[in-house]
Amino acid sequence: MRIALRLLGPACVLSLAVACSSAAPTPPPASGAPPDAPPADGLVCQANQHPAAPISLLTRAQYDATIADLLGDNSQPSSSFPAENEVSGFNNNTEVHIANPLLVEQFMNAAEGIAGRAVAANLSTLAPCAGTSNAERASCGSSFVASFGKRAFRRPLTTDEAQSFNTLFSGLNSTRGYSAAVELTMQALLQSPQFLYRLDSERAPTVESGAVPLDSYQIASRMSYFLTGSMPDSVLFGAADAGALSSTAEIETQARRLLETSRAKAMVRDFNQQWLQLDQLSGLARNPPQGMADVKGIGADYRESLQQFLDQVFWEHGDLPSLFSSPQTFVNARLGAVLGLEAPASGFAAVSAAPGRVGLLSQPGLMAMLAHSDQSGPVQRGVFVLQRLLCIDVPPPPPGLNPVPPDPDPNLTTRERFAVHTASSSCSGCHKLIDGAGFGFENYDQLGRYRTEENGLPVDASGEMMATGEPAVNGPYTGVLELSNRLAQSPRVERCLATNWYRYAMGRVETEADGCSLREVEQKFTASGGQFKELLVAVTLSEAFRYRPAIPGDM
Amino acid sequence: MDRVRKNPELSRRHFLRAAGGAAVALPLLSSLRAGAAGENFPKRLVLMYTPNGVVPDAWWPENVVSETSWDLNTIHKSLAPFKDRLLFLKGVDLAVTNDGPGGLHQKGIGGLFTGQQLQSGDLFVDGCGQRAGWANGISIDQEIAKTLAVGTPIKSLELGVRATENDVQGRIAYAGPGAPLPPMNDPSEVFQRLFSGFGQNTDQLAELRARRRSVLDTVQAQFRSVSARVSSSDQQKLEAHLTLVRDLESRMATGSNGSTSCVAPAVPAALDANSEDDMPTIAGLHLDMLATAFACDLTRIASFQISTSLNHIRYPWLNSMGEGHALSHMGPSDADAFQELVSRQTWHSQMLTNFLTRLSQIPEGSGTVLDNTLVLWGNEVSEGNTHSHQSIPFLMAGGGWYFRTGRSLQYSNTSHNDLLVSVLNAMGTPATTFGQADLCDGPLSGLV
Repeated sequence: MRIALRLLGPACVLSLAVACSSAAPTPPPASGAPPDAPPADGLVCQANQHPAAPISLLTRAQYDATIADLLGDNSQPSSSFPAENEVSGFNNNTEVHIANPLLVEQFMNAAEGIAGRAVAANLSTLAPCAGTSNAERASCGSSFVASFGKRAFRRPLTTDEAQSFNTLFSGLNSTRGYSAAVELTMQALLQSPQFLYRLDSERAPTVESGAVPLDSYQIASRMSYFLTGSMPDSVLFGAADAGALSSTAEIETQARRLLETSRAKAMVRDFNQQWLQLDQLSGLARNPPQGMADVKGIGADYRESLQQFLDQVFWEHGDLPSLFSSPQTFVNARLGAVLGLEAPASGFAAVSAAPGRVGLLSQPGLMAMLAHSDQSGPVQRGVFVLQRLLCIDVPPPPPGLNPVPPDPDPNLTTRERFAVHTASSSCSGCHKLIDGAGFGFENYDQLGRYRTEENGLPVDASGEMMATGEPAVNGPYTGVLELSNRLAQSPRVERCLATNWYRYAMGRVETEADGCSLREVEQKFTASGGQFKELLVAVTLSEAFRYRPAIPGDM
Repeated sequence: MDRVRKNPELSRRHFLRAAGGAAVALPLLSSLRAGAAGENFPKRLVLMYTPNGVVPDAWWPENVVSETSWDLNTIHKSLAPFKDRLLFLKGVDLAVTNDGPGGLHQKGIGGLFTGQQLQSGDLFVDGCGQRAGWANGISIDQEIAKTLAVGTPIKSLELGVRATENDVQGRIAYAGPGAPLPPMNDPSEVFQRLFSGFGQNTDQLAELRARRRSVLDTVQAQFRSVSARVSSSDQQKLEAHLTLVRDLESRMATGSNGSTSCVAPAVPAALDANSEDDMPTIAGLHLDMLATAFACDLTRIASFQISTSLNHIRYPWLNSMGEGHALSHMGPSDADAFQELVSRQTWHSQMLTNFLTRLSQIPEGSGTVLDNTLVLWGNEVSEGNTHSHQSIPFLMAGGGWYFRTGRSLQYSNTSHNDLLVSVLNAMGTPATTFGQADLCDGPLSGLV
């Protein structure tokens, strides 16, 4: 879907349009629920039917945060790791974020660097030892393995595990000395699967009628990586030690507490970055209009502006309708100059109710991202609204189609050029859907600047929403404000956001077995009036978050 | 200053910089094996990929009289010094894309070096709404690495220039079905990986290896023990990871870092792998370091990709400001777009020229490293505007120990799986099929 947003060019869309013929398409239902029916329809919730809980490899962001929390090492050692594979923008997808040779090699290099720094700086705190004999030092090593190992593995070591690392330690201690033994044992711990993966599917001793409750340590890790992008903090660890996380009340208490930590702020930014696919702003290349200075490197400014807007919506307004109605735009000096808004000499400041600015859909960063280098991007913007906000996937053309599009006419305006799609009877079906959603954004150019004229002609920002399954959303509209008002009230938008948070939390795309948990999450989100924190807490309380199916070998 | 002026290395460096933007400080170098008389030199393979098709009329040889009598076309003029080492292969199709899931760019890039269809599934959706998974098989570089890369510190090196699309549209190399290999986009990371071990003496290296071995032995034991406690699908992931740890340990033990015949290049300056302006420098650094890695026998297998299919990047150093994929769709009547596309593809060809030049300057036995290197260059479609998978722009360079080079060959609707078989054979891997077996008739005819 990321590609669709980023790269859907006019010609590629032509092929789509040819395929769609002239009939208005019926989009596939949003994940989990058809668009025009309550999500409960057709969903039979059976007790103890739970989706799989696959092991998940730490992402680069999770790795760095974990190392920082574990050792106070803020060097971001994952900068040498290859980027994660992505599904629908999310880089924590357990199906595609898997080991590869380069990553495994870099895990080794990172572990060597981390352990070397830790031992050089903190040996006496990490692994204090008064003894001098090999036996005494081996005993100190066992304490180190037990204490550091527990924090690194996010659960106490099993007897076998402790023995394995103690053996490694004492052997190294005899041959290479105490400090090297600590260092190398730490390297081994940091390359072990118990550190690199969250092992939610590790066999548990108890089974409830075919469904297995995750143990308190597994729940703690699930919660901490979802809500803080890192390992459990000491309070959460304490709750896990006490076995308290089998209680939903305790989970809720901990979830609300974690959402107040500074790591939660970073987590929300990480989610927004992936949900809205803001990596497209890295290396943003836009042709400045005549008379404007070069805009190289401005993508980072746009991203910060957008993240500050999203921070404010999440942490200060706190609800979904505000995403579409908050009147703030955040600008620094560079963006202020480009956008014609007053800005501070250094840092960012909010401008309230600037002309044409209301809500996410008018954000300069979003509009600049969803554009071509030299013109606006009605197609990208339309696809963004359909896919990211409404969870409507663009239907694929039939197999074997290989259309040759006509030469584009360079003498047309943006809208006229794109209107070729909808004028042709063979193209009109799909393009009414896509361009209809996107033409309403014509007040924003490729730099996200608000405009009422293009090339001396008045901007036509009329569009049409269709196929959403919601009469209150469907129909002609003009401009982003009108579209925002509709989307702010749309149950489908609410469900779509809940689905995206759910995917982020679970590290996978939902399956049929997630249906009941997802429905419950959506209902709680709706009942709260679209409060983001209630949505996140609801995910941690869902059965899918707390249980997994039995696997052979469970007893 | 006299000394500097007399230094042939420096003047060559200046030449390279002028020619293609390469700015790495190139060391004086001879092949690690140069002194070993009578030795069989290792063969090396590079897969090269550039996206979104080409301008065929400026790409394929012109004035073709016979397979040995032809002229390089506009795009490839810089390759003139190496004309007798080239093989243009016209009329070879990506027949593997005729069926199976995925969009045209997705299927093309996935099948290019694997000879396989994409896996079905909903993982990736392309710009036209097509859905697919990863390619369903190993790529030829990795198949060849199984035998050719035994004993090198690095099994294979995947290099990318703004190859930052982390899904099926951005991957050309696969370790197996659904197991793509991510490219490195940052030359400073490549430098660290290849050359950070240089400068250590034999004792230091032996100690490092011993330490790593004891650590990795314990790590492997942990993988085995955890694998037994998870679901079968998770078991597969952990066992795959364990295999990689084992491979890492075995390569470490056989490394040749620090040999006196190998000199690490200068540490590259910090660059932004997402920056369009840094692309020429990054490409130059990547290829120069790759040449050094070959000479030092750090690796024998590599892939080099310039961006990804369906990219939207500009080439500002060529004053080409169109967006990659959209630009490739401009019809033949758009003269400006045509010129932009030709200039980009000319630059791609120049990168190959620079690389071949570098290899040809590194002595190895009585010849050079180029004598023992094969480059296969391909694209996921033949022409951006048509998305055609017929007559993909395939060009081979080198491989003279096996192929009769210096020719431009014309095939007719021949499946590229046969070409992949030929490459396998050239690299010493016996095979009669590769990828989708029913698309193979054995090696491509007329090459040897």
